[in-house]
Amino acid sequence: MILIHCPYCDEKRPEIEFANAGQAHIARPFDPSGQSDADWEAYLFIRANPRGRHHERWRHVHGCGRFFNAVRDTVTDKFETTYKAGEPRR
Amino acid sequence: MSEALIRYEPVSDTPFVAEGVRISLAPPMQRHALRARNAEDLEGLLKVKIPRKIGASQGGIMCLGPDEWYFRNQAGATIPTGEGLPVAITDVSERSICLIIEGPRASEILMSGCPLDLGQFAVGRATRTMYETVEIIIMREAEDCFHVEVWRSFSAWLWIAMTTAARH
Repeated sequence: MILIHCPYCDEKRPEIEFANAGQAHIARPFDPSGQSDADWEAYLFIRANPRGRHHERWRHVHGCGRFFNAVRDTVTDKFETTYKAGEPRR
Repeated sequence: MSEALIRYEPVSDTPFVAEGVRISLAPPMQRHALRARNAEDLEGLLKVKIPRKIGASQGGIMCLGPDEWYFRNQAGATIPTGEGLPVAITDVSERSICLIIEGPRASEILMSGCPLDLGQFAVGRATRTMYETVEIIIMREAEDCFHVEVWRSFSAWLWIAMTTAARH
């Protein structure tokens, strides 16, 4: 079982306590009605889906309940780092 | 007209005893979910010390998350509602039941389905975690005694799973 470091609990916890919540650092546009259809589509649906290093949101749902960000390698499934929501991209 | 309230427990009220472990249902108690961005607001309201570190517990209050606490006290106890304050206090007494796992094999029985290393889990610590697919809150009350809080609807299954583990 993979152990994931929760930046809020500050310890490594078993992966079944966590849920993936998709790509991280996607900011909702301040003015949705001012967006073109293409921009809005990009915001809603278009994701990076990289092979390798990927910034993701995770939630410690069966623990402290908090969302945080993680850098995970999509090939090896190794977590490079995790950090609190709101902190700059690493 | 008098009303007779009959309590139906989802698991047996007869303790299960196997070699090195005893699993029993804790008596009913008052449970509150406390949420607040600043623990000071809760401290001012409840006049008790609120643990700040996630996993710590003090006076029946467990810190489950950065803004979340779980408070257990005796059945029938009431606490202030915090009206007007930036806090949320919810009575969740009947949401869950508590199973008491005690004996030298207590941590072994829990670890049959819980992935945490309970050998490293200090007395007094409390955390939300999983047992197989069921969410539970574990509290280590003593070296060989754990309290397991589980939602009522999952508890019949959890009872079967843990007593089965205890038989082996």
